[in-house]
Amino acid sequence: MSTVDERTPEAEEPESPTNRPPGMHLATRWMERPYARRIILLTVIISAVIIALTFVMVAFMNLSGGPASDIQGEIEKTMYVLTFTSAPLMGFTLAILTYSWWGGWGKVKGPEEPTEEGPAIRTNGVAVVAWITVCSLLAAFLVIWGLVELATITASSYGSVPANQQPNAAKAIDINVTGQQWVWSFQYPDQGKITSSELVVPINVPLYFNVTSLDVVHSFWVVEAGVKIDANPGAITNTGFTPNKLGTFNIRCAELCGLHHAYMETNLRVVTQEQFDSWVREMGGAKTS
Amino acid sequence: MSATAVIHEQKHVPQPRQVGKPGGFLHRTNFTTAVISGIVLAAIFYFITGAIVQKVTGGGQQNNLSLPDGLQQQITMMYIGWIIGFMAGIGAFAGPIRWMLGHDLTHADAEYMAGKDMGRKKFWKYTTDHKVVGIQYLIVALILFGLGGLLAMLIRTELGVTWAEVFNPNFYNSLIGTHGIVMIIAMIIAVTGPLGNFIVPIMCGARDMAFPRLNALSLWLLVAAIPPLVSNLLMGGIRDGWTVYQPLADQAPVGMIGYQITIIVFAFSTGIASVNLITTVVTMRARGMTWSRVPIFVYGVVGSSIMGLIWFPMFQYSQILALSDRVLQTSFYTPASGGSVWLYENLFWLLGHPEVYVIVIPATAALLEIMPVFLRKPLFSYKLAIAGIFGIVGLSAVVWVHHMYMTGWAPSSNYPFMMSTEMISIPFSFLLLVMLGTMWRGKPWMKLPMMAVYAVIWNKVIGGITGVYLSDTPVDQYMHGSMFVVAHFHFMLMGAGLFGAMGAIAYWFPKMTNRYLDELVASIGFWTAFVGFQITFFAMFVAGLQGMPRRVLQFDQAFNMANWISTVGAYVIGIGMLIFLYAMITSWRSGKLAPGNPWGAHTLEAQTETPVPHENFPVLPVVTSDPYDFGVPDPYEMLDDAELEANEGVSKVGAS
Amino acid sequence: MSATTTGTTSPEPLSPTTGEPVSEVARRNRLGIWLIIVSCTTGTVALLVAYAYLWSLNVSGGWAPTAGQANWADDWPFWAIALGMVVATLLLWRSWRVMQSGKSGASVALAGLASLIFLVCFIGQIMQIATFPFGPQDGAYASATLWLALANCIWLSLAMFLATAVMNRARVGRIAPDNASQIQFIAMFATYLCIAALLGAVFTLTMKASPNQSSPAFGTFQS
Ligand SMILES: [Cu+2]
Repeated sequence: MSTVDERTPEAEEPESPTNRPPGMHLATRWMERPYARRIILLTVIISAVIIALTFVMVAFMNLSGGPASDIQGEIEKTMYVLTFTSAPLMGFTLAILTYSWWGGWGKVKGPEEPTEEGPAIRTNGVAVVAWITVCSLLAAFLVIWGLVELATITASSYGSVPANQQPNAAKAIDINVTGQQWVWSFQYPDQGKITSSELVVPINVPLYFNVTSLDVVHSFWVVEAGVKIDANPGAITNTGFTPNKLGTFNIRCAELCGLHHAYMETNLRVVTQEQFDSWVREMGGAKTS
Repeated sequence: MSATAVIHEQKHVPQPRQVGKPGGFLHRTNFTTAVISGIVLAAIFYFITGAIVQKVTGGGQQNNLSLPDGLQQQITMMYIGWIIGFMAGIGAFAGPIRWMLGHDLTHADAEYMAGKDMGRKKFWKYTTDHKVVGIQYLIVALILFGLGGLLAMLIRTELGVTWAEVFNPNFYNSLIGTHGIVMIIAMIIAVTGPLGNFIVPIMCGARDMAFPRLNALSLWLLVAAIPPLVSNLLMGGIRDGWTVYQPLADQAPVGMIGYQITIIVFAFSTGIASVNLITTVVTMRARGMTWSRVPIFVYGVVGSSIMGLIWFPMFQYSQILALSDRVLQTSFYTPASGGSVWLYENLFWLLGHPEVYVIVIPATAALLEIMPVFLRKPLFSYKLAIAGIFGIVGLSAVVWVHHMYMTGWAPSSNYPFMMSTEMISIPFSFLLLVMLGTMWRGKPWMKLPMMAVYAVIWNKVIGGITGVYLSDTPVDQYMHGSMFVVAHFHFMLMGAGLFGAMGAIAYWFPKMTNRYLDELVASIGFWTAFVGFQITFFAMFVAGLQGMPRRVLQFDQAFNMANWISTVGAYVIGIGMLIFLYAMITSWRSGKLAPGNPWGAHTLEAQTETPVPHENFPVLPVVTSDPYDFGVPDPYEMLDDAELEANEGVSKVGAS
Repeated sequence: MSATTTGTTSPEPLSPTTGEPVSEVARRNRLGIWLIIVSCTTGTVALLVAYAYLWSLNVSGGWAPTAGQANWADDWPFWAIALGMVVATLLLWRSWRVMQSGKSGASVALAGLASLIFLVCFIGQIMQIATFPFGPQDGAYASATLWLALANCIWLSLAMFLATAVMNRARVGRIAPDNASQIQFIAMFATYLCIAALLGAVFTLTMKASPNQSSPAFGTFQS
């Protein structure tokens, strides 16, 4: 498509029919149609706008200080990839929409029925095959990218493998998260079972969460870390992440859990190892080994 | 599209003995008797259950909700009494009883039940004529939309007033739950109800639906199911969102029983309607209407009915078991005694997801039906459209877990279900190509139904691209349960579903009411609502991206701006919808009279008179081509062909 | 729905309601019954899934009726009721065949017998529910089993109504040798009911003690 402009003057010269494949010839002829270049131009512009909007979207996601973990970084990267992949298709769709809307192919206004009929295009083998191929390839790419990313973030959040079996088990901190109407509580079994209503963790240390609920379904959402898992009564779910940014971040409940669901939030405080150790002592727990 | 020929001739059919007046028992029943008998039976059931519970438990029953003893059981039986009493009072049981006794309907009975020469009274009776049922469905849908819209305004008001709690949180939670389920029900019936009943049989060239009495049954079951749902707001509400996740729903007061009864009855209604529509289309098409000549809207309605038929019982049983947990103290969903919250979530989403396509597919198919007419071009790649519809129907069965990515019920299942979810974009892309191909090089006639096509494609692009994010498990890990999801599904359900339904209703309004919809006023309403819709939900996307969870009534100050904008947009939608409604009501009463074929369509329903006569066709039509035979030979293609043949001896290769 | 009809060659009886040949009406009804069966199957699957899923999870160790003592329901009533349903269904199929061959009296008798057996099954089902060694509140197994039985109870009352109606309609001549398909449709539906009942019996027989004996206790962390 980018060769369009160089081809244009050529088309004015008489074609030499012998050494060109008919497909190329048809493509050139197609490009001469009055609407073809306008639609391609519109497609490029709209796709660019959509892609630009992704940056705005990610900026909004990071407004509260994220990304605070590799996982959130991966999520944002994935958003770019997904948009780049689907933008041309969406751009093309909106280009045709806009072009038809503005009357690029003419339009009929007023109450009278239209008098002329459009071209009787029942179908078009080339267009159908090309469209299905492109869409399937894009979908296949999205699937593969998604599967790889899912495997990556599952590895970063320790999947369902307990912390003590992880490669970096020596460093990891186990945290038991309990949701109940309408508070979160965090128990540090390795730090003398201290319990806190705020999640305080040292930076760059892998965290491994066991999550459950005492009453109804809650959802444990560490917003800027991009971690979310339901807290189910009668079951323990697992997730984890490694905080890589100092600061205070948000933990919210992402599943309607009754009267004060809106207020079921607390903070994630990512601190240095020394601050963490002193916090643990303050809370009356044992020092991290 | 159709040449007609006389294929039916008058012939006397031996009639069984007429017992009493034609119509029998149904002479005495109407909406009023139904309501009275519903209320009476509800009261009787309520008091009898109270007496029984008192006797059985001796007043010592324990429950954890600090409700009076037996109240749950009493309320449940009260609603059941209402449903049975209402259906008996409208005359729904007359049919099975007559069938059992062998008193089959005579022709005179059937004509009475179809409301022949009855005037307006037939809209208040157990009328079997599909045209009457279609209008009744339209009215019910409008009432539900009005109610759901009002609740939406209240929700947005609460969220816009960021400095205070306008409502008690429990009432607010009931608002979102009731808004959700009322709108879901309204959207499920919005197209297949009015248009599926009124238009589809005529489009197929049938005199009525396959099972006229079941048609009336499905409508009146729906009507009976609504009061229990709405009454929940007076009985403590459903405080759990429309998904009523367990075990939170177990904590809700007795209003929850209304929700459960409604879903159980509504599932019957939908199942019966689906059986009826599919059977009508399969067995009652006009002569010559082969499967490759069936209008695409009919395919859409059938696809939607297939999904409803297969998956609705899952939702129904999820609520039957929930009700059983409540009144029989079973433990399907109570984890302390062996129940599982994941069981509920799976049963719920097994319908919950296909239901989205139940809503979107008929609306999309209606627009596919509209486009060729307003572009005077054939539908592009009719077969691809059919493949798209049935591709979605097939894949809809295997994507429900994408609502449960974050539940942790089976983390490894996220891999295959992410794959299937993203694969469903392929059949959707088929439908998109059909739309674009039909639009391609067409000269649109800028009337409201065609405007709806533009609006819906725009909304679908937004809904589609945000859907790509949500289908991806890693991104969903951030988005799940946030306002981003809410904005996304409003773009699909409202943006594609409701705006599509508005276009479809504008298109068939002249056929259904014999009057034109006031183009100017309706368009003003439509576009006002559309603009308000974009404002509301783009702002909501932003709130979601910033990390605002859904279903909250107070939130971090960071989300204030987005919510203020969103609330303003919501009021604009409200104003637009009221204008559209005003246009509908005034046009219905005193609009310009419409001819039989106001848009120049080729489908069968456009070939009948308006108003459509009692049995649709004086003479059954014979179909000789598909309804998309618009257009003149493509000048470009002729040019290309001629040149190619001259230059290279290559025969026709399409390249438009 | 008009009292008009095609051609004059068909010797077939016509439906008094719509004036169509009865085979045309039968064609519609057959498809309708198939679709209803499809829909009902989903409901049955929902109950079986609930049973099997709760069995496999054993949430909070709450599957078995009462901890320690295995108060499982007796197996034989499930099988006895299912067997009764199978017999009644076979009688209905037979009744259809007999009606087709012109012996309406025998057909009425067979349908009546089927209806009677359904009634016996229904009573048996109620007795089974009343004598379960557990109440509805005794854990997940009790809940799931109770609902398999309750669903069967509802199906049986429907089957009773249908079989009785068929008998009566055949008696008054609404079902006749040249218009017998309604018996066939009822038999089709009864066959589905048999399959549902048999599946329930198989589930309750094969899934008793849960395979998962290490489920976490409610609200606690084990590790
Ligand atoms: Cu919560």
